[in-house]
Amino acid sequence: MRGQRVARGAWLLVAATILVGLVVSSMMAPEFVDPPNFDLRNAGPFTAPPMGVDDRGIPLHQYAMQGAGIVTLPALASGFLVMALATFAGLIRCAGFNWIDTAIQSVGELLGSLPRLVVILVIALMLPPDWKILLPIGLAWALLAAPNAMDEAASTAGRLGGERFVEALRAHGFSAPRIYLYHVVWLNLRAVIVRQGAEVMMQVVFLEIALSYLAVSRNEPSFTHSDGIYSWATLLYQGYTALLSTRDPLWHSAFFGLMLVALVALMAQSFRLAARAR
Amino acid sequence: MSWWIRPLVRLIAAIMLPIVVPAVITAALWILPGDPAEIICPPGICDGTAALAARWGLDQGPVNFYMNWMANAVTGEFGNSWRVSQGYSVSLLLWESIPKTAMLVLLAMIPLVTGSALAARGWMPKRVDPLWQLIGLVPAVILALICAAIVQINFGAMSNDGWPGMLRLLFGALVLGFADSAFAGAVIGTRSVFEEEFKQRYVQIAILRGETVLSNALPNVLPALIGQFRGRMLHILSGAVIVEVVLGIPGLGELLWDGTLMQDFGVVLAAAWGFALLSGGMLLAQGLSEVLIELYVRKAPPGVGKAAAEAA
Repeated sequence: MRGQRVARGAWLLVAATILVGLVVSSMMAPEFVDPPNFDLRNAGPFTAPPMGVDDRGIPLHQYAMQGAGIVTLPALASGFLVMALATFAGLIRCAGFNWIDTAIQSVGELLGSLPRLVVILVIALMLPPDWKILLPIGLAWALLAAPNAMDEAASTAGRLGGERFVEALRAHGFSAPRIYLYHVVWLNLRAVIVRQGAEVMMQVVFLEIALSYLAVSRNEPSFTHSDGIYSWATLLYQGYTALLSTRDPLWHSAFFGLMLVALVALMAQSFRLAARAR
Repeated sequence: MSWWIRPLVRLIAAIMLPIVVPAVITAALWILPGDPAEIICPPGICDGTAALAARWGLDQGPVNFYMNWMANAVTGEFGNSWRVSQGYSVSLLLWESIPKTAMLVLLAMIPLVTGSALAARGWMPKRVDPLWQLIGLVPAVILALICAAIVQINFGAMSNDGWPGMLRLLFGALVLGFADSAFAGAVIGTRSVFEEEFKQRYVQIAILRGETVLSNALPNVLPALIGQFRGRMLHILSGAVIVEVVLGIPGLGELLWDGTLMQDFGVVLAAAWGFALLSGGMLLAQGLSEVLIELYVRKAPPGVGKAAAEAA
């Protein structure tokens, strides 16, 4: 039991460290990257620490920090939105509001009936030029992902006993806030809610990378950020194109791009493991 | 909740989707700042905005545009592309791209269906699950990039026909089948549905009666399995956009991406309508199969009704 608690604490520490790193990077991200310095072009991380520079001599860590600035807030907001909706669905199942439960399931059915990326592209098309940021796209993704999360949270609450579980705890003399917030949400729904929120956070980051990569590969502006800012997709694109061309391969660009993707995946998994049920 | 509510919601959604999706896009076209015709033909860049508006039916308001578009769409006529392939028929663009996407989706379903079948039979060991989950953590765009690099290094960037073209399709299917937890979800999802059902008392009684477990449990788990299958199809269709663009597969996803990037509402409307029709069809199939399965499960086996009446 104690071992499990220690393991959960360790995973939480890993997740929190990565998240804090992301938040700090996003807050310290430069508004514009340094001007090109062709004397340093393609220098690796040992010559131009911490991440090296690209083929124009621009430090890669500035791209990484700007990328963190693009994804951190929208990913967090999307994760929290899904967590809030999943908590709501779980509580509704326990509170016994059957008609709301049915309405939620029906809305979820409608929302989840189209391929998510198709909806995202249509939303991206509708966004005015001034709104080329990840937040509306991330929130839309969260809304589309929410039905699954809500369904799972409601099923978990249902397995718990739903209304009968709450009645039993009331008979023990517990107050309503303690029953709903502590016994239902914290002790029983936490694992599902945190996992779904962390997964959506990760998906929003990956969505940004994918959308920006597809845009940069076509030499078009991205839907997720303004033209002067670089996404993590830039690192992947530079690494990939240099790998295929006759130029010196930018291995460090590809490496750090993949590392950032892996860090986000590790953060989501760490949150999941930290919140897993006893 | 009564058993018929969910199928009914699905049937209503299936009918509504192809009507609502173009309506929303049309509304957006008029809500966006500026005249819709000016989006296609910005006044500073090109002349004849009014003529173009008349040609594309943009001069008579959103309702007229929508009604005309729907009336033409039902007959398979989607007008011409505004920007992606200016002047080229959108119907032709669609007919050229749909087979590629259909092939990609069908190929991607092979590992998923195989994984589900093996998990249902208990032939997929649980201890391998972490491996599938680990592979599933890799985003589709990364896996697709690795596959694209392999094809481009071996066959060149413009290798879209013959074996390299087929290889792109196979790699695309592999990416869709395994990335973003698709395979892990199929295996673990199917297994958990069956494991839950196998705990039911009627299954244990069926074992005592010498009957097969699968034949008893299958009708009861089919609705859940069909729901999971539809979810996976949607997941694959969603991922197809990324995979097609990265791997250079000229499918419906790539067409939609190009349309979105270039603000070609003609292409986006038609492609989104195609996706809506497909999603509606899947919802309809799920709803109808749920109704049929429910009727089958509720139908008492021959002799049971009579025996129950005699016992009463």
